[in-house]
Amino acid sequence: MKLYLELIILLPLLGAVVNALCGKMLPRRLSQALACAVIWGSFAAALAVFAAYRNPVTVEIATWLADFDFKAPLTLYLDPLSLSLTLMITFVCGLIHIYSVAYMAEDPGYVRYFALLNLFVAAMLLLVLAENLPLLYMGWEGVGFCSYALIGFWYKEEKNADAGRKAFIVTRIGDVAFGIAIVWLFKLCNSESIVALNSAAPSLLPWQITVIGLLLLFGAAGKSAQAPLMVWLPDAMAGPTPVSAQIHAATMVTAGVYLLMRLFPLISLSPTVLAAVAVTGAFTAFYGASCALVQRDLKRVLAYSTISQIGFMFLGVGAGEITAATFHLLVHAFFKALLFLAAGCVITAMHHEQDIYKMGGLQKSLPRTFYAFLVGALCLAGFPLTGGFFSKDSILAAVWEQGGLLYGSLYAVGLLTAGLTAFYTFRAVWLVFGGEAAPAAKSVRVPVLMEYILGPLALLGLFGGLLNLPPLFAEGLLADFLEPLIVSQQSELSHTTELFLLLTATGVALVGIAAAWYRYGGDNRQLRLQESGVPVRGIKAFLLHGWYLDNLYWLLFVRPYGWLSRVLWTHVDARAIDGSLDRFAALLGRMGGYLGSWTCGRVSLYLLSFAAGAALLVGWMAWLVFAP
Amino acid sequence: MISLSHILILAGIIFSLGLVCLLVWRSNVIMLLVGIEIMLNAAMLVFVGGSYRWGAADGQIFALTIIAMTSAEVSLALAMVVYLHRRQQTVDVDDFHELSDQ
Repeated sequence: MKLYLELIILLPLLGAVVNALCGKMLPRRLSQALACAVIWGSFAAALAVFAAYRNPVTVEIATWLADFDFKAPLTLYLDPLSLSLTLMITFVCGLIHIYSVAYMAEDPGYVRYFALLNLFVAAMLLLVLAENLPLLYMGWEGVGFCSYALIGFWYKEEKNADAGRKAFIVTRIGDVAFGIAIVWLFKLCNSESIVALNSAAPSLLPWQITVIGLLLLFGAAGKSAQAPLMVWLPDAMAGPTPVSAQIHAATMVTAGVYLLMRLFPLISLSPTVLAAVAVTGAFTAFYGASCALVQRDLKRVLAYSTISQIGFMFLGVGAGEITAATFHLLVHAFFKALLFLAAGCVITAMHHEQDIYKMGGLQKSLPRTFYAFLVGALCLAGFPLTGGFFSKDSILAAVWEQGGLLYGSLYAVGLLTAGLTAFYTFRAVWLVFGGEAAPAAKSVRVPVLMEYILGPLALLGLFGGLLNLPPLFAEGLLADFLEPLIVSQQSELSHTTELFLLLTATGVALVGIAAAWYRYGGDNRQLRLQESGVPVRGIKAFLLHGWYLDNLYWLLFVRPYGWLSRVLWTHVDARAIDGSLDRFAALLGRMGGYLGSWTCGRVSLYLLSFAAGAALLVGWMAWLVFAP
Repeated sequence: MISLSHILILAGIIFSLGLVCLLVWRSNVIMLLVGIEIMLNAAMLVFVGGSYRWGAADGQIFALTIIAMTSAEVSLALAMVVYLHRRQQTVDVDDFHELSDQ
């Protein structure tokens, strides 16, 4: 067990180190094969762990930080939550690595790319398997660094490098809050182990739990692109598409959700924190869906939909239902990776055109990609009986179950968002694949390897619902597996209510799809294409620019900061500090001039005499000690 | 078992190495800086050794302060080396003697 657990993390790390140190010397095929093989090896180790898993285990690999009371060893903790995430991460990342081989076939920077991609997987697995918070934080920062480096992978274009920096800085703001929470928790509980913290939590004061919970929420919001720190994710699409699929859809951005679930026994002690998590999630879900309605860039549509779907996961955590949130996390990883990879096929076929209004007719020229994308879209839209339908519904059912005014209105927001999701998803489907072929889409070709990768993901997305069917149909497998994590048993919904909720969700999804067909399907598509030429105004421009949040933050934070820096520079630094120092230096210079006439000015001679003097002093002291 | 005197002896050796580097390698300012760094590390080792011997964290905090301080010092010093090299196209220690007026 210990060996397998170590292998899970060390294999990707090995791939990263080998590729980083001598990837350039290896033949291209070997370097790529190594990058893929280590991830699949890690997946095999995860499977072996899964087969041998009986009870939660803690494995100490080595000591790391240890200073008197403070201890943060390299310890891994395996429980159903981390195990299910490990399986998902290694599997999805393995597929994306293979896809990357084809996608990056012509890029000269493939060694750097694969080294970073492997390092990312190692850091992500460390984050998921860490037993104490400092170790988790190391993985957390590791994935942040890889994300930064991969967003700015084509750094020669200023825009891409800027997007990388923006992602790094915005997530860092959240990390500060997380860091404070880590230190504070140690101060309060005298331990950093997650298990110990969760069990020590009831002894804390309520206000402490609330503040720590809110700090953790802020940290999670930074990593998972939730309000108010969601501005970095749409820009993060500047990276290569497989990176968007792996880091900014399937794995890293769900780290915030994972953190909240990991510390759920702690945060669930404060109803305020749970409500804040739920409100953040619902608001962000609505925000993302509303922005996705009008985006023209295919990858930005998907980016906003990711923000929105992670909002759903937060909503699930806020409703106190970790099973539903985990379920949605897993299924979302499958179908969102599928959508991004299919989008990668489309973008490759269109020679890096990403505007959905310039695509069209790809249904005929790229049938395999079309069906894969359609499956992903059905999952995202919550079409009945797909994986996405069941997972989203389980979250909405959990919110409904909470009842009350707050959660009731959050349910309404969630339902509205689900409708919007169905609408914008099928808007993209019909604009990209429907209608007559655009001039650029006449002769398109995609490497077959890239299309074959979509198959397994499509199957998992389509049948992901089997992981955890609602209690109405059968006992959920995932719910059973995650049973030990559930803190308090909640009242079961009656089967009629459940059926009613399922039918409502079905109705909303179908209405959304029908509305999208009415506006973008069939003959109306042509009308929309003609309209797309004119610049957008009013509410559409508001949504297109993501509610102008970038401008707002610019106005609120960057401008005052710039102003303050300028004042400090011109007045305080240049005048007060430099001025007084200059005068002081001039004074010293004059004095030095007088003294300087006594010296020879050779630094080495000074040093030698200094050493000789010191030796004399030491000798004298030794004489004092040893002489009688 | 490692005792404090072992640490002190090791620190003494490292300090002497740094001092010798400082005195002997005068043809290059950068090596002079390296010598200073080595001596500082020896001092830091003594601090950590003391902290280890008496189980008090003060020495470690001091060591961390020295690390922070030296990094600032090195960046300044290296900037000055670059500046000196621009002025005189050399990094030989003995070529800089403008402090005395001649």
